[in-house]
Amino acid sequence: MSERHVTTRRGFIAALGFSAVSLYGAWAAYGAAPLPFGGHKGAAASEPDAHDGHGGGHGGHGAAEAPAEPAGHAGHGAAAGMTPEEFRSAHDAFVERFTQKDGSADPHAAVEAHAHGGHGHAGAGHDHASMGAAMVAAAEPVDVYLMAQKFAYSPDVLRLKAGQPYRFRMMADDITHGASIQLGSASRIIRLRPNVVTEQTITFTKPGAYLVYCTVYCGPAHDAMQGRIVVG
Amino acid sequence: MDCISTPVATADTRPRLTARLAALPRGDASLFRLLFGAALLALALGLAGGFVTALARARALNLFGDDAYRVLTLHGVSVFFYWLYLIQAALLLVLAAAENGRGLALRPLAWLGAALMLAGFAASEWISAIGTPLLYDGSPELAVDDPRSVGVFALGYLLLSAGLAAAAVSGIATLLQPRRRGEAEAFSAIGFALFAWAGFLIVSAIAATNAFLPGLLWALGAGPFPADHGTEWHILFHNLHYLPLMATVLVWYVLTQHLTGVTSIHGARLSKIVFAAYLVFVPPTSLYHMFLEPNLSESVRVVGSLLSLFVSVPTLAAFAIIVSSLEASARARGATGLFGWMKGLPWRNPAMANMGWAVVNMLVGITFAFVLIQEKLAPMLSDTFFVPGYFHFFAVGVLTQTFLAALMVILPALGGGALWRPDLLRRMPALVTLGLLIFGTAGIAAGVMGVPRRVFDVGYGGMAPAAWPVLMALVGVGATLFAVALSVSVYGVVRTLLSRRAPATAESRRVDWTDGQRGVGAVPAWTGPLSVAVLIATMYVATIVAFEIIQSLPIVAIGGGHGH
Repeated sequence: MSERHVTTRRGFIAALGFSAVSLYGAWAAYGAAPLPFGGHKGAAASEPDAHDGHGGGHGGHGAAEAPAEPAGHAGHGAAAGMTPEEFRSAHDAFVERFTQKDGSADPHAAVEAHAHGGHGHAGAGHDHASMGAAMVAAAEPVDVYLMAQKFAYSPDVLRLKAGQPYRFRMMADDITHGASIQLGSASRIIRLRPNVVTEQTITFTKPGAYLVYCTVYCGPAHDAMQGRIVVG
Repeated sequence: MDCISTPVATADTRPRLTARLAALPRGDASLFRLLFGAALLALALGLAGGFVTALARARALNLFGDDAYRVLTLHGVSVFFYWLYLIQAALLLVLAAAENGRGLALRPLAWLGAALMLAGFAASEWISAIGTPLLYDGSPELAVDDPRSVGVFALGYLLLSAGLAAAAVSGIATLLQPRRRGEAEAFSAIGFALFAWAGFLIVSAIAATNAFLPGLLWALGAGPFPADHGTEWHILFHNLHYLPLMATVLVWYVLTQHLTGVTSIHGARLSKIVFAAYLVFVPPTSLYHMFLEPNLSESVRVVGSLLSLFVSVPTLAAFAIIVSSLEASARARGATGLFGWMKGLPWRNPAMANMGWAVVNMLVGITFAFVLIQEKLAPMLSDTFFVPGYFHFFAVGVLTQTFLAALMVILPALGGGALWRPDLLRRMPALVTLGLLIFGTAGIAAGVMGVPRRVFDVGYGGMAPAAWPVLMALVGVGATLFAVALSVSVYGVVRTLLSRRAPATAESRRVDWTDGQRGVGAVPAWTGPLSVAVLIATMYVATIVAFEIIQSLPIVAIGGGHGH
């Protein structure tokens, strides 16, 4: 009675079925899998944090796998449990306050105005105060508001600075949209659900003009839904 | 310890599949031919819609606005719902009837199921052609001011679901009949797989009802707006992926036995475990479809990624069983050479060619699927053309070619006539695969660069990278090639269905490796392990490339991490 070769045994065949699980090794090496022996921390990009507009919790703690978060959230409580109504109000104030003559929105314009004795608190509400506080310290993220709606972004052009972290607060106003930022060799996609405030802290490391476009079909003019982020 | 003297496979003493099919009652054969015909019509419509879509995206056709998305809707609805579900219902019933040996049980229920599915088909195609484009998921938020479109669209899928459930119940009753008659004590491996598959189809029907009934009720003024459609859709969508894959593996078992006489050398029990594993591994792996959902927590994303690593377990195990059984049987009959044994397979049979190339497509598709299931990579790839770039390897290369292979065997046996031009048909799978490689390579590259999945004009007023339109033109070239080659296969199968010419003997296009099985497995069978090793290596390369790209982007993006 001769034995079967190992390659024709049931145990070996069954083990082959699990072979794809070994891909975990690559994930761990890039810090994308929760193992203490994982590779360099923060190698992989982390995910957006969402606030459901009803005081919903922060389930995400992906920062452990990501680069160090910009320090401090003092004075930036608006995002925590921000309701859609609060978002709309803050967005409207942001657009009103920072829109430039060419139609773009530049959250640093007010900093310059402050520095030159300007008074930037045109509207009411703590969001404006937090915007001003954020702009005092360069290491602190600056609040930016982006609203997606059929078939445009508001504001449709943002002027930002390289190396400066921005706390993007985003929401779809009507139906589901995407906000994908084209970054050269690839894009970064954020899916925006109606009345769900999504927050993500973003730092652009290189100057340039980046296309923002919708990646979720939203109607007949979906193809035309685009904006720009100009990083100086 | 496995020994070669161990009875490695229970010889199937029943008549061959084609003989059992030919002996089925005429009424059953008529039902099967009706369902196969409807499925092929859905495939033809979907293929035409997909071809036009690809040409429009390549800017070879000018389609804009609603017209473009209406064509895309027709493509998705026809292929992903009606082709894949009608063919599954038909194959389940015909294989169950053949397994039973005496035809269908609960025959009126099977006919009722067919009628419901055909009614759903008509409703869905009609509203897709004239209504607000809702794409194949029928999202109600796209038509808040057009309840008719939402309602009829949902009604179509609900009818399909009801019909599918009825057909599955008939299939289950058919499979149980021999045991109830005392003619069988246990399921064969294929009988068990059919039973599990039928149960899974019923679960899918329930998931579809859960997803689309609220839309119908809202359209009728009898319910609130279905705001949770997205979540319910994801549950259904996951089933939509893996049910046809399970069916594909089952068809591979059936065709392997039919074309070579080889059954699993590892015994029916391991095969049954593998088929049962679909029920174990598929449901928990659905989270990767939702990685971009803003209200999905990071911890759930991590767990979802880890679970997704197991999604391929049953499919790879089934692949290994089939390949090792074939190789060991061939070597027991004296085949030599590392891969030389494969020359003995009946490649002149178009069914074998379709099945063989389907396996190649599966290995390519899995490679890229495993890039997408990583939650850190999802923000770069989800919602981009990466998704259609890789899943067409599955939808066209694996599923459609496998099901066409089944039809090439089944239809002549059901009295459809001789297979149309087999020497031409056997060459098509290679062309389909070549087209898919062009389509998939360009599409995956486009997706990695960020080309959105559902945008026809990717120029964005000159803001988009110059490579985007070029890559989409290549996608159009690949789509043209595989669409033409697949159309030839579909035409051949339709001609076979409609033919009245008596089938010629197909014995010359089969081999019989059932003899000489004593000694099976004594020598190495490396094809399966080597294939899997190559697969894992390419998965590693693809994953590493994706990680390197996402790290090289001029952006640092992090979540909230507020600590509360």
